[in-house]
Amino acid sequence: MSETLQVRTRRWSRTEYDRLIALGIIQEDERLELLAGELVLRDRQSPGHAYAIEAVSEALRDAVAPGGHVRILSPIALDGESEPEPDLSVVPGAIRDYRDDHPSQPTLLVEVADTSLTFDREYKGSLYARARVPEYWIVNLNDRVLEVYREPGPDTSALYGWAYRAVQSLNAEEHVSPLAAPTARINVADVLP
Amino acid sequence: MSESIVRTRRWSRLEYDRLIEEGVFQPGERLELLAGQLVVREPQGTPHATGIRLVTRALREVFADDRWIVDMQLPVALDEESEPEPDVTVTAGDPRDYLPSHPARPVLVVEVAEANLALDRKEKGSLYGRARVPEYWILNLRDRVLEVYREPHPDPSAPHGWAYRSRQSLAAGEHVTPLGAPTARIAVADLLP
Repeated sequence: MSETLQVRTRRWSRTEYDRLIALGIIQEDERLELLAGELVLRDRQSPGHAYAIEAVSEALRDAVAPGGHVRILSPIALDGESEPEPDLSVVPGAIRDYRDDHPSQPTLLVEVADTSLTFDREYKGSLYARARVPEYWIVNLNDRVLEVYREPGPDTSALYGWAYRAVQSLNAEEHVSPLAAPTARINVADVLP
Repeated sequence: MSESIVRTRRWSRLEYDRLIEEGVFQPGERLELLAGQLVVREPQGTPHATGIRLVTRALREVFADDRWIVDMQLPVALDEESEPEPDVTVTAGDPRDYLPSHPARPVLVVEVAEANLALDRKEKGSLYGRARVPEYWILNLRDRVLEVYREPHPDPSAPHGWAYRSRQSLAAGEHVTPLGAPTARIAVADLLP
């Protein structure tokens, strides 16, 4: 007889998560994200990972201004049970628009992936699609490509019931124009370490 | 979510107690801290509840004098990352001994299992073994037997590195003598709903 261990762990809402931080039960320097109710630990950044974050930031900063701005490792109020801290996000408006609340409508989210590639593709990809984030990039350090995901739509085979329908993998010779800045032209080579 | 690609935050027992004190949980939430994970307890049917009452009645007859406490579903300060609420426990001492902190060293722990045998056998069996609980019973309602586990010892194949060396499965016609009450004789039939 096979026995599968079935344990349901307690899931947290975003309001509860914010309260845990406010009470100091979760320390501010803990590297955590709330993803679909679970408190997920983030990996430490390798130098290549950190480099890619800064390089994408530099490439996007001017392109998305003045209608939006770039944030690095800042919380996004994604949904009622998710508060991720993507490596990089592009959000509408100015920095001072988010003094009281985390942004909830990013136009682009970017994750840099080496060891976390499967997680970033399947887990976060489905979560971001479910929240209708219009564009999601993965800087894939293993294969030295930029993966561009667009057109979130329902997909019953995905972890959270949503996935991106348009998937492109761009190599170092190619370039990309973010949906939020269609006239910009970013060379993939410039964001790879 | 696959455990291999996601690491979730684990809680210490002190943090868990603080979450309870701060009123973070909703009233009536049924949780246990098991090896750092906040596990949701499943709702109980009447066979499960009846099993708990029968075991409690039998053990209160056997551990009758005031040196012992027989508890139903109360917290045990098992280790630094575990605070289970076993279905029944037998602990030495007086109730007021445990005003400053929950009992940490029960002499007998009993779980009544209906659907989720794997959790009680593997996960909890290994945790109770690791905490050197000398005797652990599972009243297995599915097979109508009492499983008696004794002699905790290290076992690298167990989830928490410990398991019970002696395992007996007693049918309704058999008797059991708890280690803590060597002259007692409890009919398994008296424990089964």
